[in-house]
Amino acid sequence: MRLRILARVGVAATVLAAAAWGTLWAAERLAAPAGPEPARPAGGPPAAQVQPIFRRSDVRPSLRNPSADAREFFFTRAVYNSGYRWSSWATDYPKADRQFLIILERLIDLDAYEAENAIRLDDPNVRRFPFLYALEVGDMYMSEAEAQGLRDYLLAGGFLMIDDFWGTWEWSNFEAEIRRVLPEHPIVDIPLSHPIFNTVYNIDEIVQVPSIGNAQGGPTWERDGYEPQVKGIFDDDGRLMVMINWNTDIGDAWEWAESPYYPLRYSTYAIEITINIIVYAMSH
Amino acid sequence: MYEFLFKYRPLAFEEGVFAFRPTAATYAATVLVVIAAVVTLRTYRQVRANSRPVDRRILSGIRLAVLALLVVCLWRPVLVLSQVEPQQNFLGVLFDDSRSMRIADVDGESRADVIRRQLGDESPLLAALADRFALRLFGFSSRTERIDSVGELAHDGTRTDVGQALTRAWEELSGVPLSGLVVVTDGADNADASIEETLLPLQAAGVPVFTVGLGREAYSRDIQLSRVDTPRSVLKGAALVVDVVVAQTGYRGERVNLVVEDEGRIVADEVVTLPADGEPTTVRVRFTAADAGPRLFSFRIAPQPDEMVTQNNERNVLIVVEDTREKVLYFEGEPRWEVKFLRRAVSGDENLQLAVLQRTAENKFMRMGVEDAEDLVGGFPRTRAELFQYRALILGGIEANHFTPDQLRMIADFVGERGGGLLMLGSRRSFAEGGYAGTPVADVLPVVIDPASVDDESRFFVETDVRPTRAGQTHPATQIAETEQASSARWLELPPITLVNAVRDVKPGATTLLTSGDESLVVLAFQRYGAGKVLAFPIQDSWMWQMHVDIDVEDQTHETLWRRLLRWMVDGVPDQVVADVPAERVELDEPLTLGAEVDDANYEEVNTSQVSAWITDPDDELFEVPMDWTADRDGEYRAGLTPRKEGLYEVRVEATQDGELLGSDTTYVRVAPSDAEYYDSTRRTALLERIAAETGGRFYTPDSIDGLADDVQTVGGGVTVIEERDLWDMPAVLLLFLGLVVGEWGYRRARGLA
Repeated sequence: MRLRILARVGVAATVLAAAAWGTLWAAERLAAPAGPEPARPAGGPPAAQVQPIFRRSDVRPSLRNPSADAREFFFTRAVYNSGYRWSSWATDYPKADRQFLIILERLIDLDAYEAENAIRLDDPNVRRFPFLYALEVGDMYMSEAEAQGLRDYLLAGGFLMIDDFWGTWEWSNFEAEIRRVLPEHPIVDIPLSHPIFNTVYNIDEIVQVPSIGNAQGGPTWERDGYEPQVKGIFDDDGRLMVMINWNTDIGDAWEWAESPYYPLRYSTYAIEITINIIVYAMSH
Repeated sequence: MYEFLFKYRPLAFEEGVFAFRPTAATYAATVLVVIAAVVTLRTYRQVRANSRPVDRRILSGIRLAVLALLVVCLWRPVLVLSQVEPQQNFLGVLFDDSRSMRIADVDGESRADVIRRQLGDESPLLAALADRFALRLFGFSSRTERIDSVGELAHDGTRTDVGQALTRAWEELSGVPLSGLVVVTDGADNADASIEETLLPLQAAGVPVFTVGLGREAYSRDIQLSRVDTPRSVLKGAALVVDVVVAQTGYRGERVNLVVEDEGRIVADEVVTLPADGEPTTVRVRFTAADAGPRLFSFRIAPQPDEMVTQNNERNVLIVVEDTREKVLYFEGEPRWEVKFLRRAVSGDENLQLAVLQRTAENKFMRMGVEDAEDLVGGFPRTRAELFQYRALILGGIEANHFTPDQLRMIADFVGERGGGLLMLGSRRSFAEGGYAGTPVADVLPVVIDPASVDDESRFFVETDVRPTRAGQTHPATQIAETEQASSARWLELPPITLVNAVRDVKPGATTLLTSGDESLVVLAFQRYGAGKVLAFPIQDSWMWQMHVDIDVEDQTHETLWRRLLRWMVDGVPDQVVADVPAERVELDEPLTLGAEVDDANYEEVNTSQVSAWITDPDDELFEVPMDWTADRDGEYRAGLTPRKEGLYEVRVEATQDGELLGSDTTYVRVAPSDAEYYDSTRRTALLERIAAETGGRFYTPDSIDGLADDVQTVGGGVTVIEERDLWDMPAVLLLFLGLVVGEWGYRRARGLA
């Protein structure tokens, strides 16, 4: 019990440290001149102050050759075709990724690449990254090539973590999509007794991690996704291929871990479960 | 012809002394002949007629030669011989009673038939020998027995031991006057003993050995499996690579199939192109030992048309296929993909148990695949007993500093003393980069660890293809496809991997199996160190051979590689108790020495334990044979056993100390007749000639055997008499005389002088 308290204190301290670092880092970014500024009407806020840290439209998947970096772990996002929302794969990207990686490096002894990495599912290089993170899959509409690429990736030994989709409508979309990938493998509940909840941190409760907008009090759910659930898809040998976090937004907790307004409870849980998932994926 | 002209056999002239036995009349006759010669010469001188001087010289020469021949005959030349006294001496006749005598290689007649025809009970030769000697007959194969008649020979012996036969016969006849020993055999001796030791006492005692060689010196058409090298025991599911030596005559260049059967089930079928006559070729066959237990594997080439000996086309070998779970410890210093993919690769192998200890943070470890809740709970083993329970150890990305000096020493002893397998994987924390230079672990590694190669500024990194060396193409650990060619080709197809350790040199005595594409870097090397073996595998992402897009999802290369690698590492790693029998097959009633080596949990030899061999005979009867410490070597125990039944014996050795079981081990031995008689079964003339020459005897073949009786009588030992044999009445002398007379007459006629 004492050990767990200590572990949580450690996580909390790291999160706070990361939050402080993130604030400083954001402040630096905001202060830095971003090239020649266009002329603006007097009295308005400086251009830099209204810009977000990253603009999603600026981000292009960095399909680098990872071996050139000779790192063991790349936090890799799956880039997929989406429907009504343009590039839903890039939600929280890349701030969430970078912030999570900073915390990851402090908590476990893992040789992780410190920046984001994103790759299309139909890119052959996807097989170089045995861990993939995909979110907002309620809006996922994979092309045939992407579905085939993901199928081969998973059957070869890759691991997919799904996050940030809510309610029955999004579930049904995701379910339909993943059926195209692995029609022969059912989606099953992962009980809390599963080793993935104890690889590094002992997790005894599935927490609904709200987005930044819902974290200030009031309901934590979105749409009709009232209850957080962890489900999985196992291969023929009982090995976990896909870990599905439904009705929860773990990624937002990384992204806003440094925010004084984002509750520590959620970011602690989000980081603990993600580390457990990564270590599990790297050893099972 | 020789005997017709000269009355006696050549041997008589070799052994005898030439002498004259003149009498008083001889001298008188000699004077008369000399007078006649003088008269002859004078007469020829005076005669002129129409003859030339040369005619006169030739004619007088012929006449003088006639007179000289007459003088020689008058002087009564004799051959003085020391002859064996008839019926006063013994002669031992030893007949080969082994199976190879059944081979019918001379005009369709077997060697046994030749014995019956030429030396059978009714044969004139045996009768001639019996006239002169008291005969003692023996039949020999692996043992030598007295027989009363040649008809008793069954020719079913499974070994030919000429030396033992000679010794045995000599011992039995040493108390009686012995003229010699006659050995009738093909000389295809397959005993281990040297013939030298047998011949010395015979030479000292002056006992000549007469050897009669049967059979052909070379078969015109024959295929033989000269040798099959197999391990005595393997792990179930092991891929075996076995060398079979094939020799042949008469089938050069033909293609035949070498078939391997596991208890009747075909497990390999290799096409062999036969080499030149008399030149053995080594054929490498691969198969999998799929079923556990003592298995009889047979290696066979089907008999070919007109083949003279078909029994030597097959060899049977007992291989014990163990169905155990061999414990391998993989210690990884950080979460790495190698852990996931290595675990997956061997998870389907029931005979490998991979326990993984993975450090996730400082002093925080994750255990996977452990047997017991307490296993490795404190991290890497701190005692020898804890570490030595594993058969192999994989060190992943773990720096040398993590270990205490004692733990580093222990890892080295794990290999050197316990006989375990050690593999170091590449990473930023292994080899020189992990600070292993100068540690006991560096001493056991097969590669040179150069601390100067570590440069913190520019981290070494290479992405490269992998190619097998010549050794790697054939080594069992690097066989990743069904055939050698397919395996070599597959290595070259595999996607590139990355190296972060600059390992360039192997130590003397180490073998490199895989190199980088440009051959500048070592990718896999091994060496034997002490009782164990050590591998260096400095790549950091062998999992790319599973995940890479060029690798088919169903592809098993990565799995095969790791299974074979780990199986090879644990193969032959000893337990605390190791049972040993000297051969996988023994003859019925052949004494057998059972051995055992006993160690304690720290793998230090124990001399004070109670060791028993529990034997289960072919009728499932169980009995105990106590084993005693040999006192020659620490931890070595021995006992004797003479199997009395044909079939499979199970030998289970158990060692206890202070009432506690140290361990047990089971091995098997097959009691069956040897098939060695049909291998190398051609007549070994050189051996038989040597035996005869070194003892003063003679070598014969069935064609020259007729003079045997006379020769034995001439050169044999025992009770002898001096005998003088006249030579004047040799037909050769008469023929010479007639020749000279007719020659003179003819010359005269030709020259018109008659």
